[in-house]
Amino acid sequence: MLHCLDQTVWLVPCYALLGSILVLPWSPAWGRNLGPRPTGYISILLTSLALLHSLLALSNLWHSEPKYIAWDWLNAANLNISLDLELSAVNVAALVLITGLNVLAQIYAVGYMEMDWGWARFFALLNLFQAGMCTLVLCNSLFFSYVVLEILTLGTYLLIGFWFNQSLVVTGARDAFLTKRIGDLILLMGVVALLPLAGTWNYTELAEWAETAVISHQTATILCLALIAGPLAKCAQFPLHLWLDEAMEGPMPATILRNTVVVSTGAWVLIKLQPVLMLSPVTNQVMIAIGAATAVGASLIAIAQVDIKRSLSYSVSAYMGLIFIAVGMGYTAIALKLLLIHALGMALLVMSIGGIVLNSISQDLRHYGGLWSRRPISGIAYLAGVASVVATPPLGAFWVLSEFTQELWLLRPGVATVIIFVNALTAFSMSREFCLIFGGKPKAMTVRSPEGLWALVMPMMILMGFVIHLPLLMGVMGLLPNWQDLNSVIAGVLVLSTLLGVGLTGGIYLNDAIKKPIVLPNPGIQDFFAYDFYTAQLYRVTIVFVVNLVSRLIAWFDRFIVDGLVNFVGLATVFSGQSLKYNVSGQGQFYILSILLGIALFCLLITSPYLLQ
Amino acid sequence: MQMQLEYFLLIAAALFCIGIYGLITSRNAVRVLMSIELLLNAVNINLIGFSNFLDPLGLRGQVFAIFVLTIAASEAAVGLAIILAIYRNRDTIDMEQFNLLKW
Repeated sequence: MLHCLDQTVWLVPCYALLGSILVLPWSPAWGRNLGPRPTGYISILLTSLALLHSLLALSNLWHSEPKYIAWDWLNAANLNISLDLELSAVNVAALVLITGLNVLAQIYAVGYMEMDWGWARFFALLNLFQAGMCTLVLCNSLFFSYVVLEILTLGTYLLIGFWFNQSLVVTGARDAFLTKRIGDLILLMGVVALLPLAGTWNYTELAEWAETAVISHQTATILCLALIAGPLAKCAQFPLHLWLDEAMEGPMPATILRNTVVVSTGAWVLIKLQPVLMLSPVTNQVMIAIGAATAVGASLIAIAQVDIKRSLSYSVSAYMGLIFIAVGMGYTAIALKLLLIHALGMALLVMSIGGIVLNSISQDLRHYGGLWSRRPISGIAYLAGVASVVATPPLGAFWVLSEFTQELWLLRPGVATVIIFVNALTAFSMSREFCLIFGGKPKAMTVRSPEGLWALVMPMMILMGFVIHLPLLMGVMGLLPNWQDLNSVIAGVLVLSTLLGVGLTGGIYLNDAIKKPIVLPNPGIQDFFAYDFYTAQLYRVTIVFVVNLVSRLIAWFDRFIVDGLVNFVGLATVFSGQSLKYNVSGQGQFYILSILLGIALFCLLITSPYLLQ
Repeated sequence: MQMQLEYFLLIAAALFCIGIYGLITSRNAVRVLMSIELLLNAVNINLIGFSNFLDPLGLRGQVFAIFVLTIAASEAAVGLAIILAIYRNRDTIDMEQFNLLKW
């Protein structure tokens, strides 16, 4: 029985897919007198089943070799596309993470979406996300990873555009779709170009091929750059990061899922592609550069935000930047661990602030204050989230970050410094949010702010328990570095950077002597970070401007030149008919003349050879 | 001066051209009919000229010419009748007034 569970773990995506279809009858247009609530219960039930299934399968698969399953999807002339699945401990652990977070997010949504009618659409989309991500982590083929990434892009569009009567939601959903689409399309170029070179899309075979592949330097560079473009957009890396900021217009429970897991789908593909990416040293440098730039830039932007959701979303970009660095340096194990820790910590942070936004209405950090005594549970959950995301010794990220920094220290001290710096900046921005929300005196928006309903608090507490136990769990599983292997200096520097960030915010934001809101001596720099390096304007004057101009030119060309040419033929025919009819003059004598002229010309034509002689 | 076939043919051609000119440019319908007669006469000159120079024994051209004369007479009769019929309706025989087509 249990053995059968790990053989059928590929059914896990199907639960969610079934769920997304089953909830549709409760959509307001169909079930006019049904009400929205059963959709949530069905979704939670099915997701829990999926979680249970994956957990049981994980316990079976933990120490076993990876199993591979393949179905033929398409057999055309010379093309054989098979749906390859890999059932290994890592993949099933990712399934557990996804389904577990989705169960929590859905219970959370039952509380959060209380006053909303659109549950059917919402839960159908959450389930679609879950199905897509479960398929992505199971499938062992680049082609199907691409297929799922595109489905997830569509899912993102629909989920961000959930409350579509708000204009910012519509533009945000548009930007999220187009930005991710661009990345996906360039990824498709890479996917298509890879097949003639490697002859396969199977990740395992790609890794084998990459070990011995002999391809020119230039080909490898272009190919690998195309392959990282998809994850680049998915993970909201510079310069394709604006969509994640605008995606914060979507519902909060969806944000839990997106900030933690959906952005990680790009990183997952990146990690899977790491053997291929190793073919091109240039691409690795580019990945490290992009990751470092995003990590530092996005952390700085996060510090300058006044919107609590957006502030966290830039921290997500920053952490994905660290994962880019890790993959660029070839540390896939560290990248995977970082993904796990970041997903759990960030989910906890988003859940905590979601409850606060729900009861305090405002998302503006300047309107918050003094919630610590009123909302201790949210506050503790937030602190636990911060502690697990930045390097705080007993909790998750400390181990991975110090392992990572230690590895990098000898190879690339500059990059290691970036990681320490980003850790300090993230500690600063996250504890700044904590101080602004929970510290200080209550303000008008937070004078009466009760702790959330059980449906909001329970998943948060469960997740917090999990986050706190994560180092123990990872220790049991042997995922943590040994205490002896840790370089105490580097670990100390990391902890010091965290303390520095936290202490600085405490000193600034909990100190009434400093006037709030804080204005830097140079407001230009403050605005520069607060407005996200003016990325929206940058898009508008570069890509959007060029595409818009070219579209208008082409439309004009179509309308006037191409259409005009065809219309001119018609017009010329009509005009010539109109004018040539005057040849029928109505005069008999004129007809005789034309007959004679015709005969004369004809005779001339016939006799011309003789006449010319 | 020796009479040659070419002279007759040239005379006939000249007469034909004059007839054509009259046929196209006359505004009076009767002059159009008269021009047609000129054309037929030019044809007759051709027929008789060829008959005399190329077929002096057979006289076939001359028989043709008699036929043409006959037909010309009857055609003139029909043509005059048509003109008379038009004149009764339109009170004119100006060729440029017989214009029922609209542009």
